[in-house]
Amino acid sequence: MRQDLIRGTVATAATLALAWGYLAQPHVVAAQGRGRAAGPAPAAKPSAPAPVRDLTGVWMKGRAPQGVPTFDGSTWTPGIQPPLTPLGLAEKAKNKPNNSGEFQLHETNDPVLTKCYPPGVPRVYFHPYPFEFIQTAKAVLQVFEYDHFMRRMWTDGRPIPTDPDPLWMGTSVGRWLNDATLEVVTVGFNEKTWIDRAGAPHSDQLKVTERFRRVNFDQLEVDVTMEDSKMLAKPWTAKGYFDLRPGWELGEISCSGDYLEWPGA
Amino acid sequence: MTARRFVLALALAALASAAQVFAHHGGAAFDQSQTKTFVGTVTELQFANPHVLVFFDAKTTDGAVEQWSGWLTAPTKLARAGWTKKTLVPGDRIEVTGTPHKGGSHILQIRKLIAPDGKELPLFEN
Repeated sequence: MRQDLIRGTVATAATLALAWGYLAQPHVVAAQGRGRAAGPAPAAKPSAPAPVRDLTGVWMKGRAPQGVPTFDGSTWTPGIQPPLTPLGLAEKAKNKPNNSGEFQLHETNDPVLTKCYPPGVPRVYFHPYPFEFIQTAKAVLQVFEYDHFMRRMWTDGRPIPTDPDPLWMGTSVGRWLNDATLEVVTVGFNEKTWIDRAGAPHSDQLKVTERFRRVNFDQLEVDVTMEDSKMLAKPWTAKGYFDLRPGWELGEISCSGDYLEWPGA
Repeated sequence: MTARRFVLALALAALASAAQVFAHHGGAAFDQSQTKTFVGTVTELQFANPHVLVFFDAKTTDGAVEQWSGWLTAPTKLARAGWTKKTLVPGDRIEVTGTPHKGGSHILQIRKLIAPDGKELPLFEN
């Protein structure tokens, strides 16, 4: 019976874990008085200037300036529907998201929740865990705590591929626009992922442009532009804000195992 | 149906029904309108992905012993808050406050945790 209790409880907690990503979003945790949220920032301590062409470090979703919309919860533009084409609307209607609360866990067909599929880009940012930038001579590596996903953002001058292989996280090419801003264009996605947690679809034509701007030593702003001639009638744009976490190290968060132990998996 | 499968089915059924509300409001699978506090004895700490679980025995007012579990955030987040897999060990006397599961299962979403030394343990990374 002891093992039954353990297994039952573990399974229960694992089920909860599927929704935990939402719970652990900063705005929700903050509602419990324990975390960070949008709104007036406390008196900020002065930050050192941003280093030149250097994004190195561990970053965690942070606070948006007051009044500035940012991606949150389950989608890129909370309260504003994505600019989907008729095809995009039709495809979205097939998707049954759980993170936005529309469907129960045993009903959802969210590929991340039901199959542990990689979240893809840019959905990966919705996982409430930090990521780390590591820079090499040829690329900026973006390593995510969630499931150890890594993106190689090539900065060696290669062109954006015109006929890339379809990948979960796409193929990324970056270039420095100035000493503080890295622009990364990512193309070549398979069609097995969503671009948010609310079921917004994309096709193999998805192109994601991220502009990472390190405004000072401790803060990173990201402009995300999603373009998809099949699914989006116009570019879908959003902003994100991340804080440097100098004392943090990435650990292991695996989607395998407990995450799948629930009805419908 | 074995006892193990029965417990598992009950737990999953309870959570499946609660999940929609949970996803809507975050933590709504638990009754946020109330908290329960227990003085209990740790029987196991599962410092594992995706959630850290604390199992403990708690005495009821009539002296019976109930088996409870409390769930915390991810181990990576607790590790950054200073936890290790040995932060709690079997036999530790703890005080646990949490929101109870709406389905009536002996599961808490832990909101406050007092260690054997009387100090409050951090529950979130900073």
